[in-house]
Amino acid sequence: MVEESTKIDNIDLKETALAVKNLSKIYDSSAGRVVALDNLSFSVKKGEFVSIAGPSGSGKSTLLNMVGALDRPTSGHVYINGIDIFALNDSMIATMRNNLIGFIFQSFNLINRTTVLKNVKLPGTISGMSPSDANARAMKILEALGIADKATQKPVNLSGGQQQRVAIARALVNNPAIVLADEPTGNLDTKTGEDVFDMLKTLSHKFKRTIIMVTHNPELAESTDRSILIRDGRIEKDVVN
Amino acid sequence: MNPSDIFSLAYDALVDRKIRTILTVLMVVLGASLVVVINGLSAGQSAFLEKQLSSLATNVIYATSGQRSYYGGASSQSSLILNSVIINKLRALPYVTDVVPQYSGSVTIDSYGNVQRVSVVGMDPNKLTVMLPNLQYVDGSTLSPNDRSAAVVGDTIANPPGATTPFVTVGQTLKITYSYTDSAGKSQQEVRNFLVTGIMKPSGNTRIDNALVINPDAANQLLRKSGRYDSLLIQTTDDTYVNTVQQEITDIYGKNIGLTVPQAFLQVRQQTAQGNAMFVEMIGFIALVVGAVGIVTTLYNSVTERIREIGTMKAIGAQNSSILALFLVEAALIGIMGATLGLAIGVVGGYAMTSFPSHTGGAGGPGGFGPGGGSISSFPPIFLPQDLIKVWLLSVSLAVGAGIFPAWKASKLSPMVALRRE
Repeated sequence: MVEESTKIDNIDLKETALAVKNLSKIYDSSAGRVVALDNLSFSVKKGEFVSIAGPSGSGKSTLLNMVGALDRPTSGHVYINGIDIFALNDSMIATMRNNLIGFIFQSFNLINRTTVLKNVKLPGTISGMSPSDANARAMKILEALGIADKATQKPVNLSGGQQQRVAIARALVNNPAIVLADEPTGNLDTKTGEDVFDMLKTLSHKFKRTIIMVTHNPELAESTDRSILIRDGRIEKDVVN
Repeated sequence: MNPSDIFSLAYDALVDRKIRTILTVLMVVLGASLVVVINGLSAGQSAFLEKQLSSLATNVIYATSGQRSYYGGASSQSSLILNSVIINKLRALPYVTDVVPQYSGSVTIDSYGNVQRVSVVGMDPNKLTVMLPNLQYVDGSTLSPNDRSAAVVGDTIANPPGATTPFVTVGQTLKITYSYTDSAGKSQQEVRNFLVTGIMKPSGNTRIDNALVINPDAANQLLRKSGRYDSLLIQTTDDTYVNTVQQEITDIYGKNIGLTVPQAFLQVRQQTAQGNAMFVEMIGFIALVVGAVGIVTTLYNSVTERIREIGTMKAIGAQNSSILALFLVEAALIGIMGATLGLAIGVVGGYAMTSFPSHTGGAGGPGGFGPGGGSISSFPPIFLPQDLIKVWLLSVSLAVGAGIFPAWKASKLSPMVALRRE
């Protein structure tokens, strides 16, 4: 890993889980030049629950892809726990994603042929955690999320809410610096969506997890600690709720 | 990721797509078993021919009237009548130590109601060693060259493969029936009883083991040969004179006489068999390659179907090398299962193929004790461990090789692009 920075533009990176600095993403294609992200800068404190909202095509998903290091920006920097993630090579980025980022996807993205337990411990398995440690850790999180009894079942046999809990458990198993949730309630009914959202809120407030959630639901966005509204690739509003 | 985790994930993926996995494994099984069977039969045939070669005298020329191909069939051109005049003329040639005339035909033999169709050869039984120097007889056997009712029986006739009791024993009487068509076109039968005075031990020569030897005069009468021999065994001083004698005879009789040196014949057969085995082995290899293409298709489909899974794994930190290893292990597992099953089926199949009953009777014709052929059951397959290991490694290597492209494709997928796929 590269050396951790401590301060950028007067932001204390020791207290900051995520810092985005002058981030731009421009797509050049035969159809023309599209500026998906236009010189974005913001930071997220450790333990903060931040929502990124905006209309379709505003750039919120592109931003999440950049923060999750799934794509490289045209320019700018992203710091997670003080590490400039795009200064890393692809292999180091993969390791960084495994260690520092937990992903929660709208459609859960679980491996349905294998058990809930194997799904949850997968990031631990990838990081080289011993099977017994990975099992113990996965079971502990499943218990905390109230689905330990589903450990041996296959995700496909669970309800949508239960599957999203499994995905949340998977996101937490490596104790990441930030959890990135892309429309985590988008595939759930209202009640289940609220339950999942409450769970994320609890994780943030009670267990001091840093969560960045992309949503197009204004009510959910207002229920987080802070809402960043994106429009045309720029931050339109950054509101503490 | 630990190798055991990669193995576990790969195994789960294969089990999840059972039918497709089984079909792909079957492709490898087919190729591997085909190569194993061919290898086994080829090795068996080689050993068989080797045994035949080693059992034959090296100083013998086999003569028939007219040109005769290596594969046994006499041509229609048979202007030379093999009789005592020819025999005397041949005996007078330099380096010729003996000329053994033979009558031959196909007869039915009856022993206590059990019937076999066999080759019969009329010749001096004492001269069998001209052809097979190491020939031995079972205890109690006596050779009675002048006894027109005596018969010497080959091992396969006396002890048919698979039979629990002998077909004939020394001292037993055999009823021999020769069927022919007379000049008027009517079917006729000549029936005679013979006393079995001797039984040959397995000689290594299929023709002899499948033949009945009787007195030449008795054969002349039974087979209605009118003194015309079917073939002659010409013995030379030693094997260095075989070519010289062969040339002398050809100079005298030209194409009116067919000459074969059994050793040379068998060597050509062996070369032909090796050539054929290589050809068929190529077919087996092609079957393996087809299996490999099947693996490419299966894994490529698998990559396409699991693209979101690959994207998710990469998003949560899986390295390209882990994804590559995952798909290569899947390919290797298909290869290992296919190769192992293929080997087992190939070995069993090889023995099954050679367990079919052989056609031992009726092999006589004009050829007499010429260089023998042999049905497939004459060549028990030989499965050498090094050949089996070679086929196993080849199958697994091809499978892994086939997995490289899909695995590489999977490993190079961008997680963002993969996650976007429906």
